[in-house]
Amino acid sequence: MADLDQRPHKKRRFFVDDSPSQDPSLSAEPSLPDEVNDLPKSPSLQRQQTGDAAERDKENVFDGETFKAFTGASPPEDTILSLQQTFGKDLERAINAYFDGSWKNTPAPPSSSRTPSASTYRSSPFGKPSSTIQTTPQANASPRASATPAPPKPAALGSMPTKRYIGALGVAGWTTKSGTGLLKPDDTIKIERQKQAIQQKAGRGGKFKQVVRKTQDMIVRFTNGRGEEVGRLEKEAAMWISTLLDQKLCIFEGHCIFAPERIRTNDTVYLQLKCFLLRSAFEAGNFVKPAENNRETGIFEAKETSDERDLRLRQVALVKLFSEINLQPSKINETTAKHKREGILQAAEVAEQYDQQDTKKSKGNTPENGGSSPPSEENEEGEELEQDQLDSLYRKAQSFDFDTPEAQPADSFTMDLRKYQKQALHWMVAKETSQKQEHKEMSMHPLWEEYPWPIKDADDKDLPAVDGQDCFYVNPYSGELGLDFPVQEQTCLGGILADEMGLGKTIEMLSLVHSHRSPEQEATMSGAKADAIASLPRLGRNSSGVEYAPATTLVVAPMSLLAQWASEAEKASKDGTLRVLIYYGSDKNINLPTLCSAANAASAPNVIITSYGTVLSEFNAVASMDGNRGSHGGLFSLDYWRIILDEAHMIKNRQSKTAKACYELAAKHRWVLTGTPIVNRLEDLFSLIRFLRVEPWSNFSFWKTFITVPFEKGDFVRALDVVQTVLEPIVLRRTKDMKTPDGEALVPLPPKTVEIEHVKLSDPEREVYELIFARAKKAFSANMEAGTLMKSYTTIFAQILRLRQSCCHPMLTRNKQIVAEEEDAAAAADVANGLADDMDLTALLERFQADEGEQDASRFGSHVLKQIQDESDMECPICSEEPMEEQAVTGCWHSACKKCLLDYIEHQSSKGELPRCFNCREPINARDVFEVVRHEDEDFGDEDTKALVSAFGAGDEEDEDLYNSTQSAKKKDAAKRITLRRVNALSSAKINTLLTQLKRLRKSDQVLKTVVFSQFTSFLDLLGPALTSAGITWLRFDGSMSQKERARVLSDFANRPKFTVLFLSLRAGGVGLNLTCAKRVFMMDPWWSFAVEAQAIDRVHRMGQTDEVKVTRFVVEGSIEEKMLKVQDRKKFLASSLGMMSEDEKKTQRIEDIRELLS
Amino acid sequence: MSAPLPKRIIKETERLQNEPVPGISAEPHEENARYFDVWVDGPDGSCYEGGKFNLELFLPDDYPMCPPRIRFLTRIYHPNIDRLGRICLDVLKNNWSPALQIRTILLSIQALLGAPNPEDPLNEAVAKQWKENQPEAIKTAREWTQLYAQKK
Repeated sequence: MADLDQRPHKKRRFFVDDSPSQDPSLSAEPSLPDEVNDLPKSPSLQRQQTGDAAERDKENVFDGETFKAFTGASPPEDTILSLQQTFGKDLERAINAYFDGSWKNTPAPPSSSRTPSASTYRSSPFGKPSSTIQTTPQANASPRASATPAPPKPAALGSMPTKRYIGALGVAGWTTKSGTGLLKPDDTIKIERQKQAIQQKAGRGGKFKQVVRKTQDMIVRFTNGRGEEVGRLEKEAAMWISTLLDQKLCIFEGHCIFAPERIRTNDTVYLQLKCFLLRSAFEAGNFVKPAENNRETGIFEAKETSDERDLRLRQVALVKLFSEINLQPSKINETTAKHKREGILQAAEVAEQYDQQDTKKSKGNTPENGGSSPPSEENEEGEELEQDQLDSLYRKAQSFDFDTPEAQPADSFTMDLRKYQKQALHWMVAKETSQKQEHKEMSMHPLWEEYPWPIKDADDKDLPAVDGQDCFYVNPYSGELGLDFPVQEQTCLGGILADEMGLGKTIEMLSLVHSHRSPEQEATMSGAKADAIASLPRLGRNSSGVEYAPATTLVVAPMSLLAQWASEAEKASKDGTLRVLIYYGSDKNINLPTLCSAANAASAPNVIITSYGTVLSEFNAVASMDGNRGSHGGLFSLDYWRIILDEAHMIKNRQSKTAKACYELAAKHRWVLTGTPIVNRLEDLFSLIRFLRVEPWSNFSFWKTFITVPFEKGDFVRALDVVQTVLEPIVLRRTKDMKTPDGEALVPLPPKTVEIEHVKLSDPEREVYELIFARAKKAFSANMEAGTLMKSYTTIFAQILRLRQSCCHPMLTRNKQIVAEEEDAAAAADVANGLADDMDLTALLERFQADEGEQDASRFGSHVLKQIQDESDMECPICSEEPMEEQAVTGCWHSACKKCLLDYIEHQSSKGELPRCFNCREPINARDVFEVVRHEDEDFGDEDTKALVSAFGAGDEEDEDLYNSTQSAKKKDAAKRITLRRVNALSSAKINTLLTQLKRLRKSDQVLKTVVFSQFTSFLDLLGPALTSAGITWLRFDGSMSQKERARVLSDFANRPKFTVLFLSLRAGGVGLNLTCAKRVFMMDPWWSFAVEAQAIDRVHRMGQTDEVKVTRFVVEGSIEEKMLKVQDRKKFLASSLGMMSEDEKKTQRIEDIRELLS
Repeated sequence: MSAPLPKRIIKETERLQNEPVPGISAEPHEENARYFDVWVDGPDGSCYEGGKFNLELFLPDDYPMCPPRIRFLTRIYHPNIDRLGRICLDVLKNNWSPALQIRTILLSIQALLGAPNPEDPLNEAVAKQWKENQPEAIKTAREWTQLYAQKK
């Protein structure tokens, strides 16, 4: 079936006679029955301002003159009469009815008095209409014969008429009919938009079939003076004209410029259209602003809502229109000037592409997205930034002037601020109070453009002016039109504090909390009793249902940092000057609006600390209550004095629910804290800007136009330039390596040394390693030869992951939960787990099988214990050490140093002999060797000094009889209890090295705190028991722990008066934490980029650290880890010169890396 | 011998000297502490009674994982000791254990002198004689002891 949207092919001309019947669909579509064809043709080309006195007399009806002026048309008197009869006084309705044709049911004779307008067509009709006929009002001023005498200059109107002329343009159309006399030059035509309902077509057997239109309906028809449809506009023009008509922005009046004498179907005709903007287009509420209705559409929104789509069409249509009629803005904002319309069109184009891709993609996953999916699962858009691009972005923001003024914090703030922190305070206070300082002349909102109303029409006739309306305003980014001067809205009263980690963002923020209070809070602080009425607690709420909380600052932080915020807030404040509330989990059974209202300002919490998760869940709750914030009584029911988002890159994805939730929080001042405002995409920054409500950039369409689109098109310089101008006024960023003008560091930190400990794998470990290595290499070369490297990237990556794990402990390669610790590993893990272990590997790994855990020695009977105890102080029968080092026993209960025993077993095995006991020659094996673990210091950690003594003086008191210890003497107990732990004879080299080092450290400093990082939590699972067996106390902090547990672990670690090790997963420990109580750091495994490791190290080596920090990085000799270090180095080196690499180049680069790793 | 002497060897040496076993002496060489000059008395009531037998003993690098190497320097007529002085004794071979020491090894050797075992011979000729004509063998052993194993 022919698609009627498309103009038929030209070749039809050769079958002229057949054409009507040849295309059944053409004939099958007559003018629709409900179309009224006898509509009087708008005689708009004339400007007859002659008043008719007779009409004026009628007091009770509207004024015909005004009607004409408003409509800019001069319909026949009888038409006006009929309108008057129908609508009486209601001029507006009459005008509307006039334009939409609905008045026509009152009979009205066709216009006969229409005077043909002077021919305005001056150019060759055969040229391209857009370039030759398109005229500006000015250009039309060329002298020509006018059929009607120029009317006197029209009187100015008091207000905007229903429609107002803005320009004329030429378009081409094609005819859908044939015949003579259908249309001739100068004929007035009417431009119509007939939205096609879903057509019903007669199917076979007389049934009606619904035909679903696949393409967007944008047919624009034109009819001749008799109301017959003559043809349609060419598609190109119809596209945007249809939008303007549909969205009731414009109407068009036209006349024919050229048409062949005898018209045949599919002939080209040329038309001139005059365009009028409708008054309704300027009226608010004409459409929904997409930016403001996040809540309503946000919950189940597809990528582009239909509103957004309408907006896009509208943007494009307006831009096209202005360009066609050559209307230039008389005034636009500087920033926008550079890029302009082209940008909008580009952006729309890109959006369309997204649109198409998304409809394909979204089918599967849209429904699930309705839930509370974590941000990480939601897809992000935008390209990643290269490091050097980031660097140059930051450079501008970082050009920190060391001479900026400082501010002194309020008295209630107890901490000493460094100079740069006082400067930050000054800057922040200035930002929060900036509206008072701004007395600049009213400047135009940067998104809007000003256009002059034309004063002459296409025929060079004067147009009526409107008092005080010489211009109109257009916001091409939102598609809004306006008659009033759009004032630049207040800039955001907050900003981005992006000081590098460790410079004390929290402290700076707290100093602001203390130093800039709302007037309401000041009033209560000053002790002056506020007037009696105000001090009465009340529940009054304003209309939006949101209670103003003038004394409250809301802090939103990752869960792991809640406790830290609370304790820092308390530390930084004089007693009683700051009320802190942690609003989290079960602790939130309070009605916040009551608690924090202005009336209760004297007792309201000054700082409420909550987590992103809480914000999200309350957001969902409020949304499910239809957005009724007030009645929820939670975080969203308040309008805070200030909001602070800590680690604000949590909301970097603007599509994530968390981000959307945060946008909705209301506050007078908005701040975000982050060390990395841009993590890897420019869109990351947008989300912050959106939260801060920085105009105009918080409009995504605007952002997309000036930043995303140029960036994706490769116009990096331009995009980054714009970003810099956005950032400059709202970002304060200092880095740790900044130097004051005197060359001093901003924050003097004690030195830090990083050394690499080369670990040698044991032979069995080596075997496992080599096997996996050989396999990975084989896979790599095979894929290399087959040219399938890119495809099998994940498989190879998985192999490399296994290799790295086998460097830590061979058993890790068997662990099913290896993942979730590495970005790319998610996919890789499946592949890795799917790699069947062949027999070789299984056999090798069996030797590393985890042990069955501890066994209480009492199980074996008292004589065994006696024997073990007796032997413990004797010299080792093998090395003669006395007492034995790490006593171990065989299955036949003979003791020796663990090492001697294992060495001997190893020695025998290597000679191919069956290992036997050194003492009784019973056959033994390495797995049946038990380490004797004494629990001297088990429940220690409180202030129990006795336990302390026994822990360090353990050796002397052990003579007590073990019989007692296991059977009766529970009191003396712990000090004497022993358990046997199967020695994982084939433990890993890294574990052993770590233990050796820790033991050495413990000897030298008995209260030292050490942090051990690994990226594999499964490795931490193995390290824990190993430390326990060595009698070293340890704690663990990882992503799976609850907030309470985390807080407890951190405070435990800081407060224990003894040697303690804290295990951290590289991931969980990467952000925010303050571990300055530790002095030593062990990095168990290298990460791809040292930056990540450095960030972890900086948990310890950060402000507040008073001692030198020693870092030891474990690297297995002659392994992939050593090569990773090389890759790390090279990356550091290349970072600045890499420049803009494409996605493919990056992949190639990674494959280069892998090649190097496997070399 | 650049590596420092293991604690175990030092301790063993000290003990051999401070608490000597009757009838056995072992002196380390001054220039090589792993090399011992050993004297073992023939056990009373055996055909070696009255003899003083000189042996050399060397502790290899992987001692005590490996047994010491030991050999008779004095000629001896014994089914488990060959012409070159090499000794057939299980604890010096498969039955070695690091729990054994120089002292225990030398005691084992002394015990071997008291109880020759022709069923597990090292010196076939002597073993044959021992099995076929034990009195004659014992007589020869005594003669050899007189001949070679007398204090100088």
